[in-house]
Amino acid sequence: MASTAPKLSPALDAMVERGLFNRLPVTFSTFFYDQIQEWDLLFPAEHNYYERLFGFLDRSHPAAVDRLFAGVREAERQLGVTDANWPKRTFTLQQVDFLNRSPHYPEWRKAIAEVFSQIDPVMDAEVSRHGRPRLAIVISPKDMPVGPDRLWTRIAKHGRRVAIDTPQDDSDYLPLLLTGQPSISHAPPLADLLAAHSGSPRYGAWCVETGAGLAAMSEHPGVVRMSYERLEDYRARLMREVQQVVDAGQIRGPRELGARLKQLKIGVDESELVQDAILAEFARATLLSGNGTLLINNTFVEWASIQAIRRARPVLAVISYGIRNKVKPFSSLLIYADQDKSTPIPTQGDMLGSYVDLEIFHQYIWQEFSKYAEYRGNTAFVFVAEGTDEMLAIGPPDFPLLSAGAPQRLDAVFASLKEWLAL
Amino acid sequence: MPLGLTKRAFLRLAGLSIAPKVLPTWLSPALLRADTVGQRPGSRVIIVTFGGGVRYSETFAPEGLRNIPRLAAMRPQGYFFSSCSNQGVLSHFNSTASILTGNWQRVDDFGFQPPSGPTLFEYYRKTAKASAMDAWIIATNKSFATMGSSSDRAWGAPYGANVALPKQLLIDAVKEVVRKRPGDGVANRENVLQQLQGILSEGYEGVGWTIFKGGRELDQHVRETLTHALIDYINGPDTPASGDELTFFIAREVMREFAPRLMLVNFWDMDVAHWGSYSLYLQAVTRTDRLTGMLWDEVQSNPHYKDNTTVLVLPELGRDGDMNAANGFLNHRSGDASCRNMWMLAMGHGIQAGETDRPVHHIDVAATAAELLGVKTEGLAGQPAREIL
Repeated sequence: MASTAPKLSPALDAMVERGLFNRLPVTFSTFFYDQIQEWDLLFPAEHNYYERLFGFLDRSHPAAVDRLFAGVREAERQLGVTDANWPKRTFTLQQVDFLNRSPHYPEWRKAIAEVFSQIDPVMDAEVSRHGRPRLAIVISPKDMPVGPDRLWTRIAKHGRRVAIDTPQDDSDYLPLLLTGQPSISHAPPLADLLAAHSGSPRYGAWCVETGAGLAAMSEHPGVVRMSYERLEDYRARLMREVQQVVDAGQIRGPRELGARLKQLKIGVDESELVQDAILAEFARATLLSGNGTLLINNTFVEWASIQAIRRARPVLAVISYGIRNKVKPFSSLLIYADQDKSTPIPTQGDMLGSYVDLEIFHQYIWQEFSKYAEYRGNTAFVFVAEGTDEMLAIGPPDFPLLSAGAPQRLDAVFASLKEWLAL
Repeated sequence: MPLGLTKRAFLRLAGLSIAPKVLPTWLSPALLRADTVGQRPGSRVIIVTFGGGVRYSETFAPEGLRNIPRLAAMRPQGYFFSSCSNQGVLSHFNSTASILTGNWQRVDDFGFQPPSGPTLFEYYRKTAKASAMDAWIIATNKSFATMGSSSDRAWGAPYGANVALPKQLLIDAVKEVVRKRPGDGVANRENVLQQLQGILSEGYEGVGWTIFKGGRELDQHVRETLTHALIDYINGPDTPASGDELTFFIAREVMREFAPRLMLVNFWDMDVAHWGSYSLYLQAVTRTDRLTGMLWDEVQSNPHYKDNTTVLVLPELGRDGDMNAANGFLNHRSGDASCRNMWMLAMGHGIQAGETDRPVHHIDVAATAAELLGVKTEGLAGQPAREIL
């Protein structure tokens, strides 16, 4: 494998040279080999994970590794994996199809799950030793058609509803929550404070939003600002190009389409994200990994957040949803068409639909954090709906907002959150 | 003139509408055939799939019943299989192909290969010597164009089903309207209707239709039937944004004009879940419920179908569960229970009301339908559901 090996970290490179990947079952090793192909486009948290995973396997006694993977090898035998249908170093949609279409796919999945049930506790224990308080702030738009008592219903039982003393000026709601000051003060938000704090990890502070309000508050170059609205030019080009690719009829299916989409990188004049290769690729992958992220603002926010949590493991994630548009008659069938140009029917927001959508997204986002050791037992969640007098707090018992008595002023909430992050 | 139809178009369409009313019913195409069915003369089977995938939690789970008022009301009249599972590949094409062949299909997920073994349509048409108009698929997904018959050389296309993909027709029509009329565009129903008719007249095969041709006359009849359905759809009281509504109108018109003895109706709108909007997904589930109910109403009121038809309703597949999945309802790839475990509701003549939790599978549908039609099959892994035979 060394001859075509990607540029890796010295540690991982040495493991590849020692033939570690060749000693592992091919369905396992090629998947991860594929994952690390574009090493420079991975987040530090991903580098760290792969180095620890393969470091663990490299350090383990070969007999122990053989025992660990015995089930996977047996599943591969049942699947009929050969050099012909599964070449080393190759993991494409063809291999995914091969797995999916095999009657023994469930056995293989079970065997892989068995492997990780043994690896994960070791890996998680390492992470937990370096734990730190983390925070997620999830913001619903102010046009929700229901009161806060009917928000966050799927997860409310895991936390406590906290009364808010709302500001007189509605426009100060988010600035007070996120900066501790009214908007006129232009104070730095929590994300900027975290990014500026010594010892903060790179890509540790994320703002993911449908609009551009969070990005407008934030100036620190270390903050990731992922905005559906600010990616409009890129999105519009992607939709045009995807439509052209499909219309040209030269693409025979998702495999070829996937290869073409990989080339549709963000342009220099389309977003500030282009200045960071990792984030530019993150935006491309997020927008092209499913139809919904290109088409629906809240789907973009949810999926970008899920991917950020999974890949970058931010210390602070500020996630802000909006109101999605109503589906238009006829033209909505053309999923890559510009809906404003393809019909004179005015665009309208779908408040009730957005409410239903967000209720389940709140659950998914909250669950996603809990999947990773970095977040277990040390992450506070604040779910707010702009302008309302109640929020939902979830977190460890020592999260101060869980014991709040009287209605909380938003600048006091900010102070609690800042203290939680030890900023 | 309604919706600004041209005089010529109006006369043509009016003629289409009037024709069935002035012709004696014994001349209708459905009755021009010999009765070709085997052990159960006259019996018909309609398989309705919730294509695209729907979860138990949004349908027959207690919290899901509000999304399916029609099916919930129909359930006490039919036989409900509360454990109907898809143990095959969790892709759309393979799932439906498994339902139709009685064997778990593991072919290309995107329809580049037809089913690998004979479909129910082929068994039916070959053994019962049924005509081409007796077997239809009304579906949405373009890949389903190859669903009507298998790659088995002993069977195959000569015995396959007509496949109509109404939503593809609609998409092409809308695309053309948007391209040609960027000003008023698709907000005008008449524009869309004209384009739909144009496509039907000129190039319907290009948008995925595999209508069997017995000569120009037959083509003309099929075309007129489809046009009639399009008019109903476009002029309907609701905003005609849904592909499934068009699927319903086409299916109903095919029933009225050709009265096929075996038909698959594959609704699809709920696959909008991939867009990541739970509300649009729920709306689609409720719409499919309503359209399935309307299809059942048609069975009850259409003399070709009343008292001799079995309707089998089941989801093509489920979707990922909310817990521990990559992204819950958006996808259907985890293979968890939420993806695989579903239900089936059987309605119709001779079916005793009841319910069982005995596990049945998607591949049992073909074996069951074959028994209902009195058709001999061979090599089916699925077993007939004795509860409804």
